Amino acid sequence: MQLQNSSSKPSDVLVQADLAQENSEAIAIETIQTWIVNQLAKQLSLSAPSIKVEEPLTRYGLDSIDSVTIVGDMEDWLGVDLPSTLLWDYPTIQKAATYLVQEMNIAPGAIASEPETPVQPTKETVGKWSLWGRGK
Amino acid sequence: MHPPERSMHPLKQYWLAEELERDLGDPCNPESVMSFKQVIELDELEAFPEAELTWLYNWKLHHYYIPTNCGGEFTSFEEFIAFVRVMSRRDLTTSISFTTLFWSFLTWMAGTDEQKQELAQFMKDMSGAMCLSYSERAHGSDLLAGDVTATKVPGGYLLNGEKWPINRATISGVTFVLAKTDAEAGSRSLSLFMVKKAELDPATYSNLPKIKTHGIRGSDMSGIRFDDCFIPEKMRLGKEGVGLELALKGFQITRALCAAFSQGAADTALRTTLKFTLGRQLYGKTVFDIPHPRRTLVDAFLDILICDCANIGAGRGFHVVPEQFSVWSAVVKYFVTVTLEKMVQDVSVVLGARYYMREEHDFGIFQKVMRDNAIISVFDGSSIVNLHSLILQRRHLAKFRARRDAQSMEAIATRLQTTFTLDQPVPQFAPERLELFSRGADDVLQGLEIALEQLQALEPPDLEPEVLEQIEALTHAVLAELNAQDDFLGTAAFEHGHDQSPESFELAKKYCTLHAAAACVHMWLHNRKTLGEFFANGRWLALSLRRLLVAVNPALDLPPRLDDEPLAQELLRLYGEDRMFSIVPFQLAKSEVQENPIHAITELQLQAQ
Ligand SMILES: Cc1cc2nc3c(=O)[nH]c(=O)nc-3n(C[C@H](O)[C@H](O)[C@H](O)COP(=O)(O)OP(=O)(O)OC[C@H]3O[C@@H](n4cnc5c(N)ncnc54)[C@H](O)[C@@H]3O)c2cc1C
Repeated sequence: MQLQNSSSKPSDVLVQADLAQENSEAIAIETIQTWIVNQLAKQLSLSAPSIKVEEPLTRYGLDSIDSVTIVGDMEDWLGVDLPSTLLWDYPTIQKAATYLVQEMNIAPGAIASEPETPVQPTKETVGKWSLWGRGK
Repeated sequence: MHPPERSMHPLKQYWLAEELERDLGDPCNPESVMSFKQVIELDELEAFPEAELTWLYNWKLHHYYIPTNCGGEFTSFEEFIAFVRVMSRRDLTTSISFTTLFWSFLTWMAGTDEQKQELAQFMKDMSGAMCLSYSERAHGSDLLAGDVTATKVPGGYLLNGEKWPINRATISGVTFVLAKTDAEAGSRSLSLFMVKKAELDPATYSNLPKIKTHGIRGSDMSGIRFDDCFIPEKMRLGKEGVGLELALKGFQITRALCAAFSQGAADTALRTTLKFTLGRQLYGKTVFDIPHPRRTLVDAFLDILICDCANIGAGRGFHVVPEQFSVWSAVVKYFVTVTLEKMVQDVSVVLGARYYMREEHDFGIFQKVMRDNAIISVFDGSSIVNLHSLILQRRHLAKFRARRDAQSMEAIATRLQTTFTLDQPVPQFAPERLELFSRGADDVLQGLEIALEQLQALEPPDLEPEVLEQIEALTHAVLAELNAQDDFLGTAAFEHGHDQSPESFELAKKYCTLHAAAACVHMWLHNRKTLGEFFANGRWLALSLRRLLVAVNPALDLPPRLDDEPLAQELLRLYGEDRMFSIVPFQLAKSEVQENPIHAITELQLQAQ
């Protein structure tokens, strides 16, 4: 793993194919970082530029359990199961994004901001159960 | 366990509790083990209940804290809750001192085979006891701020610092210590150690003086101090840095189980007060025949039944959905302990002056129950800490709920069926499935619509139409309150960290109350055929739901309160037959004072029905 120097330049000895891969990895990491930054900016009422990807998340006043629930948000976005302690083990946005891409081979699609919880007061049915407005 | 007697409860997970009851005997008889007279005397002396604990070890109750796959007899949290109630209705000091054994679940959850074997042997062969050393004087609930350090040295660690206030810190052979192994590692800065004191250099650790407390006065409340205390590497549980994770998961187990302490205390508070009201004559009738005290006791009985549904549901839920316990455990620890604390206060009004006296009426047990019980909502994660952890998950609960689909509803229905059907076996508890965060799942409230469908499918004639109508209407009202809360959260600002608004705490409390209401409905739906006529009839459920909804939203337009006289009669029946005040009214030790005029009165009241 090269988490500690993930922001360093690609090594000169990499062959062409590796370069291409490195490039798509960099894009993936960037995508994830941007998503987390935007998510936090929204949740913490901060401006996105004020959130630094190299800073530990605890710097922004998050509790240990907050970090765990943010992983929950990331799971919803990426559609994969993640270790709930991801942000404990990789406590900056940069480290977490790098880990996801390099170790878990996650390749996010375009950044979609998460849909808000749908809340329509209509009676809906899911399977055989009425959800009284609480279905997808 | 001995083979069952004919009179034993049909649900075999209650046999152990019944057997323990029988062997302990009537607590009103001064000759019984843990009799009220004895435990009051110990309390006055602030003496550690040594003989009582030895009796429990001789009875081999400690085997029921060790899972069968680790060489013990533990199979079911439902059974566990029942026997802790049996101890707790006699004496919380003994019950809590003995039950520090439940910290062993840290090892059953995270230990190596060798560590498990070692601990099981320590418990079984040496009648070993343990304590939990997390808290520090300067840091309270803020575990990550702890100053106790474990510094790596060849072959192990050096412990330094002080843990306080710790129950059984002095009188225990094993202590689970949370200590800092890497100050820079944030949530990974702590590690957990299972420290066997016998293997330490006695010069490197010491115990702190006994702390005098308001209740559980005989407890060994003290602390422990380490000074360059060497502990070998093999005492570490799990990897370095997983201390907070293990601590939080371990709390999920013990916090929910703490509710059983309150349930035992609540039984005694109600039983001794009922006894008083039946024996005391005022204005030419018994106090129980005066409407206000009668209503107060019936409401107290309802509180107990409600808490039963929440806590027995959780006890079984551990085996079915351990991954949801970041939610269930917080709900139960908050709701049951606080509800029953309030219940004890309510009935104290009926006991009147005697509640304040230390020798009158059943040896003065009431005031002891009240003092002892007051700590349950505080230790092992206070009400505030539990509500806080719920608040942090609340947004996800709403999000998950909004996303349920046919498949997930089907799965919830299946799990609820196993969780709440008491005559069905539960899977073996799998502690490795505990999660820091339920990812938004809470079957109890998320299965409310399932319960509503099931209610609509029920047919009178076996039910009184008025009762069934109320149950349905009130369940709809519970759902409406939940929907309103979820809607509100969709629009409210996100809150994080430790600056949650007081309003969020109020919302979290309501969530807990709604969860308890839903647990009552599930419990009833799944056990109508097995828990007897009183339970099946559902009147208690309608009254309970109404009681809970009034607490959630006093402005609601609810159906009128049903006649509660059948509850008063059931309360008298359980009292007269010496049965636990519970949805599972298992047999208690028979009260031996046959010539007691109060029992005669109960008999008469029952005959008059
Ligand atoms: C009888 C008894 C037995 C005990 N046994 C043990 C034991 O065996 N092992 C052990 O480790 N500890 C034990 N404790 C310690 C107990 O768990 C601590 O009291 C607990 O950790 C809380 O600490 P504190 O009371 O110092 O409160 P603090 O943590 O200092 O909190 C003070 C107040 O701050 C507020 N507050 C705290 N956290 C939050 C939050 N997240 N959000 C909003 N407000 C908050 C609350 O109003 C709280 O009451 C025991 C205590 C007692 C009294």
